[in-house]
Amino acid sequence: MVPLKYNVRSLRARKVGSLMTIFGIGMVVWASIFAFGLSSGLDRTLEIAAEPLDVIVLRKGSTSEAVSAVTEKAARDIKALPGIATGADGQPLAASELVVFAYLPRRGADIKVNVSVRGVDAVSRALRKEMTIVEGRELKPGLREAIVSRAMANRFQNLGLGDKFKVDGGEFEVVGIFEAGGGAVESEIWTDQRVLAQIAKRTGAMSSLQFRAASVADQERLIERIKNDEQIDLGALTEKQYYAEQAAQSGLIKFVGYIIAFVLTIGAMFAVANTMYGAIASRAREIGTLRALGFGRFSILTAFMLESLLLCLAGAALGCLAALAVNFLLGGIQTGTMNPGTFTEVAFSFDFGPKILLQGIFLAIVMGLIGGFLPAFRAVRMKVVDALREV
Amino acid sequence: MKYLPLILRNVFRNKIRSIFTGISIAISLFPLMLLYAFLDLQDDMASSTAQYNRVAVLHEGGLAGQLPIAYVDRVRRQPGVKDAIPLSWFGGNYREEKTQFAQFATDPKIFFEIYPEYACPPDQIAAWQNDKTGCLVGSVIAENKGWKIGDKIPLQGNIYPVDLELTVRGIYDGPDTADRSWLVFHFDYFDESLKEARTPNSGNAGIIMLRTESASKMSPVMQSIESAFASSDAPVKPMTEKEFGASFLEMMGNVRGFIRMTATAIVIALICVAANTMAMAVRERTREIALFKAIGFNRNTILGMFLAESIAIGLLGGLIGGIGTKFLFSLIDLSSVDPGLGMFYVPWRTALWGVALAAAIGLFSGLIPAWRAANVSVIEGLRKVV
Repeated sequence: MVPLKYNVRSLRARKVGSLMTIFGIGMVVWASIFAFGLSSGLDRTLEIAAEPLDVIVLRKGSTSEAVSAVTEKAARDIKALPGIATGADGQPLAASELVVFAYLPRRGADIKVNVSVRGVDAVSRALRKEMTIVEGRELKPGLREAIVSRAMANRFQNLGLGDKFKVDGGEFEVVGIFEAGGGAVESEIWTDQRVLAQIAKRTGAMSSLQFRAASVADQERLIERIKNDEQIDLGALTEKQYYAEQAAQSGLIKFVGYIIAFVLTIGAMFAVANTMYGAIASRAREIGTLRALGFGRFSILTAFMLESLLLCLAGAALGCLAALAVNFLLGGIQTGTMNPGTFTEVAFSFDFGPKILLQGIFLAIVMGLIGGFLPAFRAVRMKVVDALREV
Repeated sequence: MKYLPLILRNVFRNKIRSIFTGISIAISLFPLMLLYAFLDLQDDMASSTAQYNRVAVLHEGGLAGQLPIAYVDRVRRQPGVKDAIPLSWFGGNYREEKTQFAQFATDPKIFFEIYPEYACPPDQIAAWQNDKTGCLVGSVIAENKGWKIGDKIPLQGNIYPVDLELTVRGIYDGPDTADRSWLVFHFDYFDESLKEARTPNSGNAGIIMLRTESASKMSPVMQSIESAFASSDAPVKPMTEKEFGASFLEMMGNVRGFIRMTATAIVIALICVAANTMAMAVRERTREIALFKAIGFNRNTILGMFLAESIAIGLLGGLIGGIGTKFLFSLIDLSSVDPGLGMFYVPWRTALWGVALAAAIGLFSGLIPAWRAANVSVIEGLRKVV
């Protein structure tokens, strides 16, 4: 085998050319990581929300809470069913919630977008353990008050602590800022359910009923029961399924991201091939010498493939470091988009986790292997005599 | 100009290298073209509709608000308004498909008054107007879904607790920039279904789309409508069709920022790649350059020759990438991937912009190598063994 040191030194000998290539690959890896990080960040937001034992009850056929209706009577009937987990006070862990839209402008923009406002009851908080108030205080029932996620407070005008905003003509004051570990709740505003129902003129029916099943078996049984009970006549699905359906709506973003990464990878392969052709052409004599010294064809092929891989891995390292550096400097890239399924704002942050970085590195390895193969093959095919004679 | 043959021969001297660089530029331009075409298309659609003087009237609370259907007549009676229709978003699910397309309940009698650029054979229009459960579909979506006249289209309600069964009675066409991916049907059929199901949300016009008599009437009409409903139960917000279209892109979030960032990364990567190619070319030809200088070529000529070579390689990639993407997407219809996209094609100006960008990449990548070539020392260059 040709020692790896030979390849490292060869790359160093052609400093500018190698650096240019590494930089180019780094940029491609960087752009790909951003595209992956965006779609993964969006998915993650929707996945984190799901508690495995939680169930959402909606009107039959509706796929989002905002367009669903669950009557108070049906809600009472379901809460009385056996198999629902109970809280510390012995009450069933089930909450009727009302979701309406507020129409608010983002910071630095004129155009308003829909934001989900969730009217919650006393049990709602127990169903979302990860939620903590980080500034201000909790909601007090019966008042026109709201708590807002940190992400939404940063993204929207009038949603900072102490600010006032309107929902359906009624004014609410922001009394607290919460965090919830990046889940879907972080795209919401919470208010007292009864106050919200009164302002939105929604009486007799809430949007959804959420409950926690006592066990997996109970969960399955309860879902079947609710779906098939003609008295109740509602649809039920696990929280996981609910958010998975929401995520499916953001398919276009994912599709575009992967197309960009895929196409750029192919483009970069040609650039790698160019660099390696150049490296091999100017080292014909060296290659001849190596062969004359007794290194076999296979060793030469491996050596040049390794050199190409090294080049790309250095690029990948640069791309990953750049992405992490940007993320670190900005303290996480927070952004938001419209959920095409519900036409409401989803706040999310880019995901630069190990999986995303590995995907970027994987692309670089593919570039190195495919881009380096033809040039390495040419190095192998050189005749020793000719190669030695070349100037 | 007399150096052109020499420059071109230099471009293709190392065929593989130049072609690979060109392909690398062409392929990387492809996603860039895709993203910018999306933005340009939005702008094109917005500016091409400007001549029809359309105004969208929304509930002050946004698209989720309920606009009473009686408002349509009141809007129509405002001075300066030519006519008005409701466009009520149904948002139903078609078969097992996860993604939605535009479905609106509207007034079939007036629909073509508001959208005069849509073309449809008169017998189909009449058939649609006379069949209460009939619908009219755009040519793009009809092709994507394989719909023919007479086909039944079942839509399961998602926002509304009713299912509709529609029959295709007409297929409309229109200019390239017109959205031909809508499905429109009778508001009466929609509203009666809602009343039968006893839902509280019947009588919802969704938004009202109106046309003013002339362009100058647009802002007075918008003002008078806004004040006419200001103290009602459902105050409204009128906006021009252009603003209305732009608000959707805005809702998607910082799309422009994301596209700009990706584009910058791609352009920088390409400059590196092309500069590397040119640097290799200069290095190989050091002796030749020295010889050129020895027989009397001056620095500027050498500088120009290398820059021209570099621009030529950029142009090669730009022509394949820019024009190629345009033709590729006239063959492939991207809206079949996601019906929410409506329609997609690459406008000429986007394609030409891509070509120009590639030439600029060539120019920038060639600056340093060409400068180095121009400054090759004759004596050292002649002595150098490459």
